[in-house]
Amino acid sequence: MPRFDTLNGAWMAWDGPAPAPEEAVLEHARELDKFLAEIERRAFRMAEIALRDPDDALDAVQDAMLKLARSYAKRPSAEWRPLFYRILENGIRDLQRRRSVRKRFMTWLPGANEDPDNEARDPLETVADAAPAVPDLLMQSQAMQQLEVSLQALPARQREAFMLRNFEGLDVAETASAMGCSEGSVKTHYSRAVHTLREQLGEVW
Amino acid sequence: MSEEDRSAFEERSRALFHGSVEGVDMRVRSRLTQARHAALEAASASGRRPWFFQLGKWTPAAGVTAAVLGVALWLGSPLGRHAGSFTDGQPNLEDLEIVASADEGTEDAMEMMQDDIEFYDWAEKAANSAPAA
Repeated sequence: MPRFDTLNGAWMAWDGPAPAPEEAVLEHARELDKFLAEIERRAFRMAEIALRDPDDALDAVQDAMLKLARSYAKRPSAEWRPLFYRILENGIRDLQRRRSVRKRFMTWLPGANEDPDNEARDPLETVADAAPAVPDLLMQSQAMQQLEVSLQALPARQREAFMLRNFEGLDVAETASAMGCSEGSVKTHYSRAVHTLREQLGEVW
Repeated sequence: MSEEDRSAFEERSRALFHGSVEGVDMRVRSRLTQARHAALEAASASGRRPWFFQLGKWTPAAGVTAAVLGVALWLGSPLGRHAGSFTDGQPNLEDLEIVASADEGTEDAMEMMQDDIEFYDWAEKAANSAPAA
């Protein structure tokens, strides 16, 4: 009699590894949902700081979510965070490269620099001034703006190391995995980033 | 820069960042939620087995159907019809009946027997009359 229970509905199935039970699949999906929900806004802000454009940042985060879900959802959940940020950083770099090419191409077109809505305008022009434009900005907001400007002025690898280590709280090994470099490089990038930021913001903060 | 200064700087910058995360507007939050749902849908779609892996549960029914269809097609083909003439036995029986009837009681067979009797009768008479001289 105990064998009959195992035959119920499954005896005709493919002769491969047994599929995960429905409940386990649902639990895995819930876990992925929770992970993405917990990470999405921080990822968006980090992408926004790097790209200086909220729409591009949204695209980058959405793309990273899709790629993680499609290709790595079955990996252990402990691996998701460094994987997600690696995908996101690659996406950010691709967008920056595309922008750079577009900008170079657009400079050859007559009148491109005169168009105020031109997408290829210098990204530095869109960065908020270190001195706040609106006088009644809260102190926190001002400080964050200054931090953003300083972060955007950093070399990309230093900025990545700083944001992943400090904002996202990844340890050195996870940051190295996300950045695709050695742990020694992470320490060097991070240390230089902190030093530069501290120097720039020291007087203001 | 001392370790203490460094640590204070890291804490302050982290707190500012998390404050800015809390300030993300509703439009962006909504779009992030949509993106997350799309990603989860993509994960469940990629988690489903490919169609050919799902054929396993239909194997018995498909096997029976294929067998029935195969037999029907084979019998309908010229090869099947040819093979059928040997398996049903009817044409062979007809041939046997013709042969059998020729041996046993048809008119031709009787004529052959009569011819033979006349021949043997003549041969016997010829043999008895010839050596007397």
